[in-house]
Amino acid sequence: MSGIIDISNIANSYIPVAVILIVALVMPPITMLIIKLVSPRSKASAKYATYEAGSVPVGNARIQFNVEYYLYAIAFVLFDIEVLFLYPWTTIFKGHDITSIATAEMLVFIFVVLFGYVYLIKKEALKWMK
Amino acid sequence: MMDIEAIIYNPILRAILGLCLMGAVFGGACIAVWFERKLSADVQQRYGPNRVGPHGLLQLAADAIKLFTKEDIIPKNADRLLFVSAPILLMGSVFLMLVALPFGAIIINGQSYVIAATQMDISVLYIEAVSAISIIGIFMVAYSANNKFSTLGAFRNFARMVGYEVPLGICVVSVAIMAGSLDIVKIAEAQSPLWFIIMQPLGFVVFFIALMADMGRHPFDQNESEEELIAGFLTEYTSMRFGYVFFAEYIHLILGSMLVVLLFLGGWNLPTFLTDITIVGVILPTVYYLLKVALVMLGIIMIRWSLPRFRIDQVVDLSWKKLLPLSLLNLGWVIALGLLGVY
Repeated sequence: MSGIIDISNIANSYIPVAVILIVALVMPPITMLIIKLVSPRSKASAKYATYEAGSVPVGNARIQFNVEYYLYAIAFVLFDIEVLFLYPWTTIFKGHDITSIATAEMLVFIFVVLFGYVYLIKKEALKWMK
Repeated sequence: MMDIEAIIYNPILRAILGLCLMGAVFGGACIAVWFERKLSADVQQRYGPNRVGPHGLLQLAADAIKLFTKEDIIPKNADRLLFVSAPILLMGSVFLMLVALPFGAIIINGQSYVIAATQMDISVLYIEAVSAISIIGIFMVAYSANNKFSTLGAFRNFARMVGYEVPLGICVVSVAIMAGSLDIVKIAEAQSPLWFIIMQPLGFVVFFIALMADMGRHPFDQNESEEELIAGFLTEYTSMRFGYVFFAEYIHLILGSMLVVLLFLGGWNLPTFLTDITIVGVILPTVYYLLKVALVMLGIIMIRWSLPRFRIDQVVDLSWKKLLPLSLLNLGWVIALGLLGVY
């Protein structure tokens, strides 16, 4: 990319993103409006009931759920943020050797991540249904 | 030459190009749906769609008319705002992914111009970020419907997707280290002599499995599991609302296949003696690239129709206990190669 014009400017490269985002957000509501105009309607009230394989719905679906799911979520947040820290480092790694501070620091960081992972496994936090 | 570049890098024209690509992807998704139905029929020794048009080619038009003329029902227990906005969020997520993904390249006089709606220096990070939005979209679909099948599907989907997001990210980081850039165009061009699948085969395997799980393709579609959960998270959706969520899944399939080709299978790179011929340079790289994308899609579809669905605990264990250590191993391998000065 030799030409340093327009889109190579950071602010300008997000103009297409904005345009397409607007189109993507506007498209479903317009479609639903068309469907409202062309689709048939009936006034039966039973069709608005929640589907439960034909029987009368019992209770609410928004109940307290297994705690296992939340443990996975917490583990995810920890590890995903750690991966996020790796991203900026990827662009400068090339050309450094093991003695340079950039490499050494990141290796220490990866070992800390590994230590946390081993700890989670030992604590059986990542075990489905204890 | 200056004029051509001014046109090529004009953001407004790029936005129009992006809208065309959006249309192309919609058409591609239609063909993918038809192709998958035909292929699955072949695998299971059925005929598949064969009534509407030659080889059932017009089946999709028929389905679209059907979806458009179905009554749109919002259950009375549903959260209306979330119910209506969830498909919008899902469409937004896949189309934001599309913006940064190149659809090929035109090479004139050794200078390559990428066919993409925009180019940024952090496009890989951006694609990862916007594709992760779909987790929220799917959870909104299910939570808003206030249906027990949907809720079960959503929780399974959530447990699966958070598990595969981490190995996926680590594999992308390994690729970015090798290319020395977070720009997906530079990553594709860095594979000019050697594809990254040869440099890090383990990374490719982990990335491919994690991506399939991320797209919710078959062995990993616990959010739907028709046998136990009716239609999983989509149970209460009708009409084109259902259609949009369904389409978002297929568009994600196409864009995910592109991601595989760009990160591991060499993108559009061809030997320079071929691209020096003007007419070849204009057409061949894009054709070659899209052909590879189609092959990856074919592979993913074939896997869907030849494997049984995994249980949710198997899926979660696969991601946390096998793919995560393997992806870290791959990262170590890439760092070791870098320290030895291989790339």
